[in-house]
Amino acid sequence: MLKSTIAPMLLTLHSKTKSNTILPLKTPVFCTLLPQSPPTVRRNASTNPLTIETPETPSYKLPPASAYIHLPFCRKRCHYCDFPIVALGSTSPETADDDPRILNYINTLIREIEATKTHFDPHPPLQTVFFGGGTPSLVPPRLVAKVLDTLRSRFGICLDAEISMEMDPGTFDDRKLKDLMGLGVNRVSLGVQAFQEELLKACGRAHGVKEVHEAIEIIGSCGVGNWSMDLISSLPNQTQEMWEESLRLTVEAQPNHVSVYDLQIEKDTKFGSLYTPGEFPLPSDTQSAKFYRMASRTLGEANYNHYEVSSYSKSSFECKHNYTYWINKPFYAFGLGSASYINGTRYSRPKKLKDYTNYVKNLEDGLVDLGEEDDVDEGEMAMDIVMLSFRTSKGLEFKSFVEDFGSEVAVELCKVYEPYMKSGHVLFLDDQRREITEDEFSSLVLDDERLENEIGFIRLSDPDGFLLSNELISLAFGVIDP
Amino acid sequence: MPYLTKAIHLANRIYRLHHPNHHHYRLGLGLPYYSALIHHNFCSNSRKKDDNNAIDLSQYPTDKIRNFSIIAHVDHGKSTIADRLLELTGTIKKGHGVAQYLDKLQVERERGITVKAQTATMFYDYNNKESNTNYLLNLIDTPGHVDFSYEVSRSLAACQGALLVVDAAQGVQAQTVANFYLAFESNLTIIPVINKIDQPTADPDRVKEQLKSMFDLDPSDVLLTSAKTGQGLEHVLPAVIERIPPPPGKRDSNLRMFLLDSYYDEYKGVICHVAIVDGCLRKGEKISSVATGQSYEVLDVGIMHPELRSTGYLLTGQVGYVVSGMRSTKEARVGDTLFHTRTTVEPLPGFKPAKHMVFSGLYPADGSDFEALSHAIERLTCNDASVSVARESSTALGLGFRCGFLGLLHMDVFHQRLEQEHGTHIISTVPTVPYIFEYSDGSKVEVQNPGAFTSDPKIRVVASWEPTVLATIIIPSEYVGVVINLCSERRGEQLEYSFIDSQRAFMKYRLPLREIVVDFYNELKSITSGYASFDYEDSEYVASDVVKLDILLNGQPVDAMATIVHKLKAQRVGRELVDKLKKFIDRQMFEITIQAAIGSKVIARETISAMRKNVLAKCYGGDVTRKKKLLEKQKEGKKRMKRVGSVDIPQEAFHAILKVS
Repeated sequence: MLKSTIAPMLLTLHSKTKSNTILPLKTPVFCTLLPQSPPTVRRNASTNPLTIETPETPSYKLPPASAYIHLPFCRKRCHYCDFPIVALGSTSPETADDDPRILNYINTLIREIEATKTHFDPHPPLQTVFFGGGTPSLVPPRLVAKVLDTLRSRFGICLDAEISMEMDPGTFDDRKLKDLMGLGVNRVSLGVQAFQEELLKACGRAHGVKEVHEAIEIIGSCGVGNWSMDLISSLPNQTQEMWEESLRLTVEAQPNHVSVYDLQIEKDTKFGSLYTPGEFPLPSDTQSAKFYRMASRTLGEANYNHYEVSSYSKSSFECKHNYTYWINKPFYAFGLGSASYINGTRYSRPKKLKDYTNYVKNLEDGLVDLGEEDDVDEGEMAMDIVMLSFRTSKGLEFKSFVEDFGSEVAVELCKVYEPYMKSGHVLFLDDQRREITEDEFSSLVLDDERLENEIGFIRLSDPDGFLLSNELISLAFGVIDP
Repeated sequence: MPYLTKAIHLANRIYRLHHPNHHHYRLGLGLPYYSALIHHNFCSNSRKKDDNNAIDLSQYPTDKIRNFSIIAHVDHGKSTIADRLLELTGTIKKGHGVAQYLDKLQVERERGITVKAQTATMFYDYNNKESNTNYLLNLIDTPGHVDFSYEVSRSLAACQGALLVVDAAQGVQAQTVANFYLAFESNLTIIPVINKIDQPTADPDRVKEQLKSMFDLDPSDVLLTSAKTGQGLEHVLPAVIERIPPPPGKRDSNLRMFLLDSYYDEYKGVICHVAIVDGCLRKGEKISSVATGQSYEVLDVGIMHPELRSTGYLLTGQVGYVVSGMRSTKEARVGDTLFHTRTTVEPLPGFKPAKHMVFSGLYPADGSDFEALSHAIERLTCNDASVSVARESSTALGLGFRCGFLGLLHMDVFHQRLEQEHGTHIISTVPTVPYIFEYSDGSKVEVQNPGAFTSDPKIRVVASWEPTVLATIIIPSEYVGVVINLCSERRGEQLEYSFIDSQRAFMKYRLPLREIVVDFYNELKSITSGYASFDYEDSEYVASDVVKLDILLNGQPVDAMATIVHKLKAQRVGRELVDKLKKFIDRQMFEITIQAAIGSKVIARETISAMRKNVLAKCYGGDVTRKKKLLEKQKEGKKRMKRVGSVDIPQEAFHAILKVS
């Protein structure tokens, strides 16, 4: 469904420096990605905001239409987690209302948003806002309101903007959710992770299965029309039966979206010190690959599209915010440890609260300017695009890749994937998204020009190609930057 | 006697100085500058021996010269004694400079071995019967290991005597035996020195008995020393002067100069260590090489005291250095005779091209570094002309070199020097020995590379021969059983089995060189808790049923992994190789079959199942930088791998199979 809705905008760019070629990029226009969403007043009024920019602007130079807000507070740290979080300890939600740590943080965050130079005039309103964490649902709604107000006054927010919030079971009730919805939060990402008491406990989650069911209830009763169930597979001691059960209960809860994360053991976590990937009590690679396939099959049968390596959704319920990442579009990020992508530059904020506070101070003093134009390395950009687009079921748009990075590297890319096409890990599609057969490919590969013309998309297969995406993407890296 | 073979062997190699009359040397006349020098000497006899401004070598006719070397098993204290003697004579200052003065290479210091010959000239005031006489003593430091025995014999050829140093606790060891016979066959006067007598476990009496029973050395001739405490060292140089004859050369003969070794200096070019056998050499003279026919002008000449000290001339019996504008040490053939151009001399026996016994392919670990490796090898062979180098290429490893070495230690040292002195990273292929094959078409070839083994199915191998060595093993008697097992497992043939004393057994084996090439010494050390000492010398070729063992990955042979093995061992080696590879090759996107095969017959097989998953599930909060870094690392990892067909082979796999015997 995605391919037909994307109207590529042809953009060209002149190279500015000798050494670092700046590349021309052609990009789908995000606003038209999901035409099901109703048009906004603003958009109707001002036509497409992107037309304000010259048609030559590459997508990464467009004003960001997305903002990620990091709200780092958790009751406690989960055993697999190495994100920048602030563990509050056993404070009740009531006292959390006036927790000075939260108040101070929100103040700093607001200062950061206000101090951020935009370099874009006029600035089109934000189309997505994503509150991630931590556990954003621990933050009192009145403080969330302050953040949204700041964003609104700084950049504007589309009336139909997707405003997502990660919420953990046990951290919100009807009232809180309704308050948040009143502020504009219209998408909930519920951190369930597992439906088994012993697994939740083993992960160090601050909630049990009872809270999970309550949370699903609340979401239903409040009428959240767009919500995601987040699960983790390959947890220690997780059995196939448990995973089947989790998937079954997920489908029964009828979320519009499901995220399935394969557990990653990070070095400086409790799990990192206890377990070795692939070794008991963690499932073997074979077993966790099986979990992945089970999710793909079960959710597929329940009419969820596997639109990204870890993401499933009912038709038109893809997470718009996350999708900006996969199509290499710019986005703001605010808050502890968060990563932004503006003007072709990725920047990660300090992960320690003190450093972050200093960073905001420097930003206010004009010592930091993230909007500065940096020359973008063509190879880096090509790698980003391959890496990100291969995560999606849509895959890499071959024609625009050829246009941006030249036919030589594009053809080379096809050739490096030839054996993996035959093994079923990589799919070549034509412009109409019809799969090119092995025989057809064998004849195409003899003629570079035909190869360029016939191939519309390259994507990784589901689940085999997705499962080995690191291998396949690093092969592409080898082609782009030998 | 057990060393008959060796004696015959050495007779061909060693330049022996037979001179019936060396104690009564007459001064030669007839060379005008020479008499002038002597005259000069008479006028300036107050000149101090250590005067920094000038050294007057003319004070030292041959009867005031002694040339000697120190021979010892590794770690028995050779270098420390050398240091002490250099200090004792004021050649180096005590406590200054580095220990093991003569071991200049990092590899020599680290391993406690000497690889390159060095010389040092010392001046010694010998106090005898109330008369003081100045002597010029040349210490010629030699490599101790059998790999370098050719160099040892060359160095010994310039000496008339040797200190045979034995550790007071460890007693006679395998290298002691080998070195003793080298010196003995060179007709050197041997001064036995039992060193490290300060150790609590020292047992000099037992060692004296060993020396008596093994070498017929008189216990009353033995010196007892501790180079560490200095005890007994004062007797060493008097013994050198009293017991070792002066060099026997003729002063009035045409110049004959023996080339001991050479090294390359950035600034001066090739510097040759030489011993003047007959005649004299002066700066500015023209000299020629017997081996190459090339002529050179003597640009600089002097002694090593301990560093280069220009004297302008060298006289009969003296040892020093010559700089002559040679461009590469390849021109400086060790053992060569140099003489005055346009004179006729009988060449000194001694030059013989090095015989390469171990071959391996050397490849840059990173394929793109071929030029760097090539440059490093060129530079290194400038200083070690005994390595043979030829270009070769491998489908798995790209461009590289096939190198021939004198032996295993030589190969190891070469590898280590490439890394330490030139910073190169290499992949070595499994070392092989030179086999001889006779084919059905009647041709007979020496195969130094398994890849060169004929692949033409029409040509059969009708016979094959492999080189063997004569190994000397000395072990505490309780280890006899395990060592006999090891040797028979390595297809060894026991030639001799006796006891040095009540605690130590002495064994001689004939072993195929192939069997000791890889890990024999390590294995021997580990089964004897480090107590075994081992040495070997080259011996003859014997008929042997050998086959080429191929390694195939997904059906494709990996040329760099092919080996030649004895038929009876093929199965075991094949199994081991396959198992090792299975351990070191990571799962890939396809299933990989690893096979070991002789011809078309597969003798071992393993499969590595396909990788199940490699996916980063979460790209949290758009933080793609971290993920990208990981993928870039993965890409770099792939780049370092060697690819055969569709299989990526990590470098470690190549290193690992080196250890399979």
